[in-house]
Amino acid sequence: MIKENCKLAIISIKANKMRAFLTMLGIIIGVCAVIAIMTVGNSMTADVKKQLEGYGVQNITVYVNPIDWEADITEADYQNMRLRPEVLHKLSEKFGKKISGISVESQMETGTVVKEGKTVNVNVTGTSAGYYKANKVKLINGNSFNEFDYSMGNNTAIISDKFIEQLYGKEFKPENLLGKEIEINVGEQYLNVTVVGIYHYEQEGSVRGGNKNITTNVYIPLKSAWNFTHMEEFFECTVVAAEGVNAAELSEQIKDYLTEAMANNLGDKFMVGAYSNQSMIEENTKTMNQMTMAISMIAAIALIVGGIGVMNIMTVSITERTREIGTRKALGAPDSMIMLQFISEAIIICLIGGIIGIVLGLILGNVAVHFMGYTPHISIASIYLSVGFSMAIGVFFGYSPAKHAANMNPIDALRYE
Amino acid sequence: MVALMQCLMTWEQMEVSILSNDILLQARDIKKSYYVGTPNELEILHGIDLDIRRGEFVSIVGQSGSGKSTLMNILGILDRQTSGKYILDGVDISKAPNKALSSLRNKHIGFVFQTYNLIARTDAIANVEMPLLYAGISEKKRRARAIELLEMVGMGERMHHTPDELSGGQKQRVAIARAMANNPDIILADEPTGALDSKTGRLVMDIFHELHEKQGKTIVLITHSNELAAETPRIITISDGNIISEKINDKEGVA
Repeated sequence: MIKENCKLAIISIKANKMRAFLTMLGIIIGVCAVIAIMTVGNSMTADVKKQLEGYGVQNITVYVNPIDWEADITEADYQNMRLRPEVLHKLSEKFGKKISGISVESQMETGTVVKEGKTVNVNVTGTSAGYYKANKVKLINGNSFNEFDYSMGNNTAIISDKFIEQLYGKEFKPENLLGKEIEINVGEQYLNVTVVGIYHYEQEGSVRGGNKNITTNVYIPLKSAWNFTHMEEFFECTVVAAEGVNAAELSEQIKDYLTEAMANNLGDKFMVGAYSNQSMIEENTKTMNQMTMAISMIAAIALIVGGIGVMNIMTVSITERTREIGTRKALGAPDSMIMLQFISEAIIICLIGGIIGIVLGLILGNVAVHFMGYTPHISIASIYLSVGFSMAIGVFFGYSPAKHAANMNPIDALRYE
Repeated sequence: MVALMQCLMTWEQMEVSILSNDILLQARDIKKSYYVGTPNELEILHGIDLDIRRGEFVSIVGQSGSGKSTLMNILGILDRQTSGKYILDGVDISKAPNKALSSLRNKHIGFVFQTYNLIARTDAIANVEMPLLYAGISEKKRRARAIELLEMVGMGERMHHTPDELSGGQKQRVAIARAMANNPDIILADEPTGALDSKTGRLVMDIFHELHEKQGKTIVLITHSNELAAETPRIITISDGNIISEKINDKEGVA
């Protein structure tokens, strides 16, 4: 019976191709919009999530900010509120094994290295031992700094393979530079450092202008940076939670601890903040999903409008075929069969429209994702949802006209002019 | 399968009943009114009494507005009488629930309309299959039966043509094949030649005669033409909603 009804529906749709297509258009546009938006939304969420995970799920960023940015804050206040080494030391003692490292960096001015007429830009960054873990720096040659480097502030450096390539060309073997001294020009001073390690530079996205314009980090021990800049305080540090520790919970504990420990320094003008990447990922995914949902809702309105179009056409189609309905009834068609025939027709119109919409939506979504620079991420659930939803629209908006057809009095239908 | 069994059973029963020559259709004091309960209530049929036996070929003749079409609609269970009793093949239609009516029409009655009423955009064979489909008969059996019927009415060659590719006479022949699909007890033909020229009209009438004589079908022909009515063995004349005369035609089969 289902098969027969589908056949009948297809005959009737074929007989009015243009009309059926125009009816479908509403569904096509609605489904296409929902699928495209969901594809873009999912791709963005997945990419951002991956990116944040790349920064370390266990990382907790701790910072001190003014409560009110507009408030009158003196230079002395700023000096007072910063995170000091002894506070960080106490922090690591307090939380012990829950923390696998504290990373601070002291960003200096951009420096340049000149060799045989070539100039390469670098960021000189003073780092604590926890930095490499927090930022997932991968050493490929040599070693990290030792205790001695950190405590004495030796002029040692870890440089990137990219930097070596920029300065010496692709042929040069990076390990040949281990133990060698390089001279970095920072501001008006020169910093001479001995290379102890080489890390692999991970390129993020595409960079305009090619290799030449990439600025990589040259890491030196934190103490060395302080010696150079005479600055020992930070606005911000990264705490790496030990494996198995809930970073979101720990970030709250750290925030409470530091707020208490630094109460005198903070005064009523500053506050300690702490957030984990974990909670940021969750927050971000939630926001993105909400946004996708909100936009999809608007697209769903298009679907409903499309559904009303289907209802309209079904009503017209049934009025047009009143005599046919009368004949079918005279031939002994039960009401249920008449109803099924027209509901099948509505469902098939919606389903065809839905499938076209899905295909167009996937194309549109993937093109958009491509141009926005994300990795395409197709949501299978949204496809099932769209198919189901367009069928439901067919049933919902086909029901009332079909019911009307089924309830026609056979003789009135036969006599209809 | 069950449907098929039922079908076979009705056919069997029918053969038995042909032998007993019993009453197939019994109408008692059938009245039909429109706008019931309103001041302009209009009574079309004023109490029709009618018996039709199995295997009869009856014509109901009358002017337009005489109520003959209204009577046919009631006999065909397309419409319900306002009062009176109608028994078809032992089933009291006046007491049958609405839901049962479609099945009664499907199994017991074959309609032939003046305007053919074939389903548009659907080929001849699918049109003939339609009553079989509603009877729940399998696709294979439907097809075989439809081909058999179309060949019987001489439309074997044009089975896959849609109604708009057929002439009036051809359409009416397809319609007759369709009316015969479920081997109904009775064929109700409402002005079947009304839209045809005399030559094709003759052809259609010959098919009715053949169905009556060779297959023993019960046929009720509704017409305004005394000439056509004269061909049938029994003639019932209806005027202003009353049966005014009934006669047995001695010149049976003379055409």
